[in-house]
Amino acid sequence: MHPFDYIRPATPQDAVAAFANAEAGARYIAGGTTLYDLMKLDIERPPLLIDVTAIAGLGEVDIGDERLRVGALVPMSTIAADPDIGRDYPVLAESLAKAASQQLRNMATVGGNLLQRTRCMYFRNGADGAFPCNKRQPGSGCAAIDGLDRGQAVLGTSASCTAVSPGDWPVALTALDASVEIVGPAGARRMLVADLYRLPGDTPHLEFSLTPGELITGIEIPRPAAGSGSTYHKIRDRESYAFALASAAVVVQRDGDLVSRARIALGGVATRPWRATEAEDLLVGQPLTIETALAAGRAAFSTATPGHHNGFKLELGARTVADALLIAAERSRT
Amino acid sequence: MIPASFPDRARIDARDKVLGVARFSADVPVTGVLYAMMVPARIAKGTLTGLDTAAALRVPGVVRVLTEADFPAPPPVIENGPPPPPPTLEREIAYRGQPVALVVAETLEAAIEGAAAVVCTYAAAPFAALIDSEGGVREMGEEIVFGDAEATLASAAVVVEGEFLSPTQHHNPIELLATTAVWEAGRLTLHEATQGAGGTRGMTARALGIDPGVVDVKSPYVGGGFGQKGGLGQRQTALIAHASMLLGRPVKLVTPRGQIFHLATYRPLSRHRIRLGATAEGRMVAMQYDAEQEQSRHGIFPSAEYHETTSRMYGIANYLGTSADVRIDRQPPGWMRAPHPQASGFAMESMVDELAYRLGQDPVALRLANTGDVDFRTGQPFSSNHLNACLEEGARRFGWSSRTAEPGSMTADDGSLVGWGVACGSYPSMMVPAVATLRIGADGSTRYAASGHEMGQGIRTAIASVLLESLEIDPERLEILIGDTTAAPQHITAGSWGSAGAVPVAMRAAARMREAVAELLDGREIAGNLHRRLATVRRPFLEIEVSEVGPGQGQDVLQALQYGAPAVAGPAYPTFTTMSYIAHFVEVRVEPTTRRVRVPRVVSIVDCGRVISPRTAESQVRGGVVWAIGAALREATEVDPRYGGYLNNDLADYVVAVNADIGAIDVGFIDQPDPLANSAGLKGLGEVAMVGASPAIANAIFHATGRRLHELPIRIEHLL
Ligand SMILES: Cc1cc2nc3c(=O)[nH]c(=O)nc-3n(C[C@H](O)[C@H](O)[C@H](O)COP(=O)(O)OP(=O)(O)OC[C@H]3O[C@@H](n4cnc5c(N)ncnc54)[C@H](O)[C@@H]3O)c2cc1C
Repeated sequence: MHPFDYIRPATPQDAVAAFANAEAGARYIAGGTTLYDLMKLDIERPPLLIDVTAIAGLGEVDIGDERLRVGALVPMSTIAADPDIGRDYPVLAESLAKAASQQLRNMATVGGNLLQRTRCMYFRNGADGAFPCNKRQPGSGCAAIDGLDRGQAVLGTSASCTAVSPGDWPVALTALDASVEIVGPAGARRMLVADLYRLPGDTPHLEFSLTPGELITGIEIPRPAAGSGSTYHKIRDRESYAFALASAAVVVQRDGDLVSRARIALGGVATRPWRATEAEDLLVGQPLTIETALAAGRAAFSTATPGHHNGFKLELGARTVADALLIAAERSRT
Repeated sequence: MIPASFPDRARIDARDKVLGVARFSADVPVTGVLYAMMVPARIAKGTLTGLDTAAALRVPGVVRVLTEADFPAPPPVIENGPPPPPPTLEREIAYRGQPVALVVAETLEAAIEGAAAVVCTYAAAPFAALIDSEGGVREMGEEIVFGDAEATLASAAVVVEGEFLSPTQHHNPIELLATTAVWEAGRLTLHEATQGAGGTRGMTARALGIDPGVVDVKSPYVGGGFGQKGGLGQRQTALIAHASMLLGRPVKLVTPRGQIFHLATYRPLSRHRIRLGATAEGRMVAMQYDAEQEQSRHGIFPSAEYHETTSRMYGIANYLGTSADVRIDRQPPGWMRAPHPQASGFAMESMVDELAYRLGQDPVALRLANTGDVDFRTGQPFSSNHLNACLEEGARRFGWSSRTAEPGSMTADDGSLVGWGVACGSYPSMMVPAVATLRIGADGSTRYAASGHEMGQGIRTAIASVLLESLEIDPERLEILIGDTTAAPQHITAGSWGSAGAVPVAMRAAARMREAVAELLDGREIAGNLHRRLATVRRPFLEIEVSEVGPGQGQDVLQALQYGAPAVAGPAYPTFTTMSYIAHFVEVRVEPTTRRVRVPRVVSIVDCGRVISPRTAESQVRGGVVWAIGAALREATEVDPRYGGYLNNDLADYVVAVNADIGAIDVGFIDQPDPLANSAGLKGLGEVAMVGASPAIANAIFHATGRRLHELPIRIEHLL
């Protein structure tokens, strides 16, 4: 860990200005549950931390008829426990309730959550140069691809990187077609959550489509159509306090017994929150049975590329999607 | 005066712990303390060729960087003597994470920053990181042979056979390794998180070439030991002690968990090949068992001890046990709760389950018919063996009789497969010498000082239980000094001998005190408690000292105790063998689609002789079962053979069980005193609690799914 400067601006404009004036490598910090961790591991070495938690107006939750708006500083635990969100957006509440631990959820913000970094063990442990990692040290190589890759991605991988995008909340937001509100040096803009994440390709160190200094101020989530059912189904190595081996965020709308629209996003298996459109398309006009659900699950993994120890994620992922679809269908009305 | 059974009593230090009053070693306030941080080696093997400390010394607050040149040469190895102390700093790198330098600073932050600023250069050498890596050296251990296993197996009606694997696992107590050294006026005081204050004193003195007589070690509370804080001593202790002596100021190190994974001992990966032969009726007659384990180049964790329990649990008359170390380039493995039988028990009890299945017999009935009164390994009788009572009581509480035998035959309403499994465990019941002093004051105080370490297992509560049941003293002012070399000689507390080392001597102390009081009062009848009576006869205090040794031990072991050397008796005592026993019954549910395994309930019934402290005893068993659930279904430390070291070196990625993974755990005790093992009639408990619970889970999974899994941990991918 290295010494750093610290400031705590009161407005988004001050924060953005401070970033613009800082030397390279400055970071915003909210709950600190990702950033401090990576600083202690020497992966992140910011010369300046711009603490955004004193900025007014970023802590509100606004449940509207058409949409839900959540300020970037709202703690994960607030959304996880909100009864209205639990009723109207179960996929959202569940994605946060099943993430991390209560203590972490109390500290961590829904904005910071979007920008958490991978748990790839070679990424996290190699600050002393022991393992190559293209994400940590561009061009150095990837130790995971031929290494202990049980936790690595099977979708969206490249020859440079197979690191999983670890978050649960971004997966749920991707299924709901949510967008983020951003202010930055060039003004305000808005972007689909799905567009926030880049595929690793040859540049796995570039993870997000934000430009330096851009600050996330809020998240907007369109309300799912009346009668639709949703869930976040997460399979992990223990019942709580673990990242997903495979997860599925699912929203199902039915017309009679037949699916009129399904939205499916995958977590724990891909290098970014993964929208499984092949699976969604397959379900339209179908009844939801264990067979059609499994067929959709398998379709979601039709392009997956297993490594050495993570091949099970194809089957586990397909079954996770299937169970999620059946849970969501059970919750839906026609 | 000693009651036949002990009442339930709350943990005497529970309140202090909840309030944060109990001081663990890192909590001891020391004025003027300096903070230390180690610099770990980046390579898995080779030589440190350069160490540039200039940048580290420029970090504001850094006081000194200690390197190999600052330390005395290691002491000569004594043939057949005690194991050498852990090395200090060396240029030869034996494993990734080995400390190469120690940075000492005015603040913790400066120490951390300074450690990161030390620049090391290495000449890397080829290395072997895993049991199958090229360069590993296989070394056979002691053979355990009795009867004629080969011939008996050749003619046995049924032989089951299998190979099993238990992974590398790390202890991960919540309390980190912590040392504070205070060198003052020619004495060195070490506040150390250790299960062996006496051993720590000896090891540190030998590593630094100083007189153990000037070293005091204090470890009144340990925040979980499980073997990590015992046995071989910590490498860091002498480093910190030496730093304090060089700098003339107190120095403190709390080692980060990621470094502990690379420095501390661990449960080594082990492989177990078993052939178990039985008659057509299910009488086990012969067993051949080959065990091998990962071992460091100079490690001493004994491979032959995989046979310690497997050779004795059932009345198998013909046994051929081999064992081997595979020496590779890692830090030394060591004792971790249920050290050998966690792995060997998984192998053996899986095979016993397989035998029952093969024969179409109930696995409880098969076990009941195979336990015995004789230790075939020595030919001696067991001093007590209530394993059958454990099995019967467990089966009754669990409702075993409604189990249907065929795998996959039981399902729950939600479609989950239900599996009911059973497995037994046993563990040597050992004993160590102890010295105790007891002083009762007319002012209402009682001070008891003895050997023993409180690691959360409840040794203080057990001692208090004995003293308060047998002496009329004020419980509020009872002070129990343990883990402190200035109060009494300290034997290492491990191997489940804590109670055997602490309770009989406490009983003897109480009895001697009653005699002393009777002598003092000389027939006078005085009302009130002992304090009152002393006050009445104007005696400020009474103090007595007693000692206790194990069956067959001479008084000379008290000498060994003074040096902090291990002096362990049993389980094979001169005329009998003493083992503790347990039977675990487990229900698992395997989810129909994604195959998650859940453990909604466990029943565990224990024969640990007489129970001294019911509440902490029960808690010990729960802890053992919880850990076995973790060990069976989750825990494994990951080593990439290309790099060495441990990848999942924190509590997020080294997956232990959490609350949500644990269901009901019903614990029962047979509570029958052992007539021979010691005057208290108790047998060891802490280790046996865990033994057999992991195979009970594996057997339940077999019952649920028909899959006999040969490798721990059993994970979702094995069941899809
Ligand atoms: C042990 C552990 C287990 C975990 N388990 C899970 C899990 O199961 N599932 C899961 O989804 N997550 C899990 N997490 C991750 C956790 O959810 C994230 O660490 C947390 O959500 C990050 O939020 P934060 O506010 O603490 O972010 P910070 O650490 O403060 O920041 C994270 C990143 O976001 C940037 N940032 C923060 N706020 C903003 C903003 N408003 N605008 C622009 N940039 C910003 C920071 O610069 C930094 O790069 C776990 C974390 C830990 C430590």
